[in-house]
Amino acid sequence: MKKPQDTGHSPPSGEISQLTEHLFRQEAGKLVSVLTGIFGIDRLQLAEDVVQEALIRALQTWPYYGVPNNPAAWLTQTAKNLALDLIRREKLFRDKQPEIVATTEQWSVDSSPDDSPLFDTEIKDGHLRLMFACCHPLMVEEEQTVLALKTLCGFSAAEIAKAFLATEAAIAKRLTRARQKIRELRIPFEIPSGEELAIRLDGVLQTLYLLFNEGYKASSGASLVREELCHEAIRLALLLAEHPAGNRPRIHALIALMLLNTARFPTRTDTDGNILRLKEQDRSRWDRAMIARGMFHLLQSAEGDEVSDYHLQAGIAACHCAAKDYESTDWPQILSLYNRLVEFDDSPVVALNRAVAVANVDGPTAGIDAVKAIRNRAKLSSYYLLYAVLGELEVQLDHLQTAADHFRISLKLTEIKSEKMFLSKRLQACEEQTAKGR
Amino acid sequence: MSTQPVTSEYMLLFRGMHWDKNLSPEEIQNVMSRWIAWFDRLTQEGKAKAGQPLTEKGKIISGKKGQKVVDGPFAESKESIAGYILLQAATLDEAVKIAKECPGLDYGISVEVRLVDQQIGRGFAVSV
Repeated sequence: MKKPQDTGHSPPSGEISQLTEHLFRQEAGKLVSVLTGIFGIDRLQLAEDVVQEALIRALQTWPYYGVPNNPAAWLTQTAKNLALDLIRREKLFRDKQPEIVATTEQWSVDSSPDDSPLFDTEIKDGHLRLMFACCHPLMVEEEQTVLALKTLCGFSAAEIAKAFLATEAAIAKRLTRARQKIRELRIPFEIPSGEELAIRLDGVLQTLYLLFNEGYKASSGASLVREELCHEAIRLALLLAEHPAGNRPRIHALIALMLLNTARFPTRTDTDGNILRLKEQDRSRWDRAMIARGMFHLLQSAEGDEVSDYHLQAGIAACHCAAKDYESTDWPQILSLYNRLVEFDDSPVVALNRAVAVANVDGPTAGIDAVKAIRNRAKLSSYYLLYAVLGELEVQLDHLQTAADHFRISLKLTEIKSEKMFLSKRLQACEEQTAKGR
Repeated sequence: MSTQPVTSEYMLLFRGMHWDKNLSPEEIQNVMSRWIAWFDRLTQEGKAKAGQPLTEKGKIISGKKGQKVVDGPFAESKESIAGYILLQAATLDEAVKIAKECPGLDYGISVEVRLVDQQIGRGFAVSV
């Protein structure tokens, strides 16, 4: 057993323990999960407030004494003390008080937060329960992602707003509504079992996928926050995969697809923030270790005979990662994966991506035909990438004026600066070429 | 020895118990790390002599022979002192310059600089 003084302060001079990057954010997510288990999920806000207060306490004292030897343990202990104070003070816990106090005290007597597997399991279970609650089918998509980011990942409303290009007030409102819904609909704080598990698990995977996509989209000024979303989605997915309830082939496929795409993150833009296309990216800067991890999960996803859309998307990402240069990309393989993917998902966005693969296999004309053949193409009419793709294909056919027209429309449809810059350059190149040709 | 520059002690008082409540965990970690680095640098330069946080718990004793004791000394938490650092600085200007580097300034903390002096009547305060 560890006494609180073991986690005492180090003096400010000399050796300073460095805080792990994002430690506070990640500890916040863990502590909210554990406290929610104690307070009940209907008091989610209370758990969040206690954790915030614990972090502020750290801010009030650590500057003078330096970082404690075990910062996570310090935060846990402080959150626990604050929670106990609150439970003793608040009327709403009067009935449950002895029980809650006993549980909370157990929390530190039995185990120290840093090295006990028991506590570790408790945290992970709490995390997963909260994950299942946030992703409950009764919650709508936008509530799921926002609530997961706030409670599980420790992002503030302002940070979420930056990532979603929304106002802070709008995000705060969504959060309030989501918490209210959890209370009113009595959404359970549990890891589902039996037949329910598979369905509920799909909901969680879908949310993690959305979280990842939100981060992966071309970035605006807040690119750092966006990249963080991707890492958080991966972290939560790994947590889920470690648990017997979550260890399924399709989650490994999801993890693989996220890792394989994230591995290319550093090369997606140049130092000025300009978008670089796949063929322009410096492949030597792709994160090899992450690709290896991605491939490992892809291998694990092949257990059993299940094929999900995550499998296919991971397969496509793997094709790109495996190619040593753009020219040696296995486009026929990518196209065959897209051909199967469109069977799963009739989203016109998937079909548009398939058209790019078609163009790479059978040439730009075939690509344009594939775009024209997209069912429900009307849904894409305000999607900037539709016109960007058509523009690129027309350039390849030397139809520069048509290409320029497409780029002009595309430009009007995106608000993101880096995308605007990229499209302006493409447009300019077309116009210059046209002028020369005259 | 007269080669030693003349320095005085200054007290930096940090006012404001309540940091911006809306700081995200990431921001809290960030401002704290900067504060620790700042304090550490001052200590290594021999400028910071001591520093402590102060809690909100306390009592005010006033009146003749201290017959009046009031719980919670702080009229307003915005005004209350969250902690202090004792500085060794050459001039008030230098102390103020150091105070202005305080990483808490952007987040609702204000700093008061006071000369610590044996001779009563010479002390004065500057707020940044």
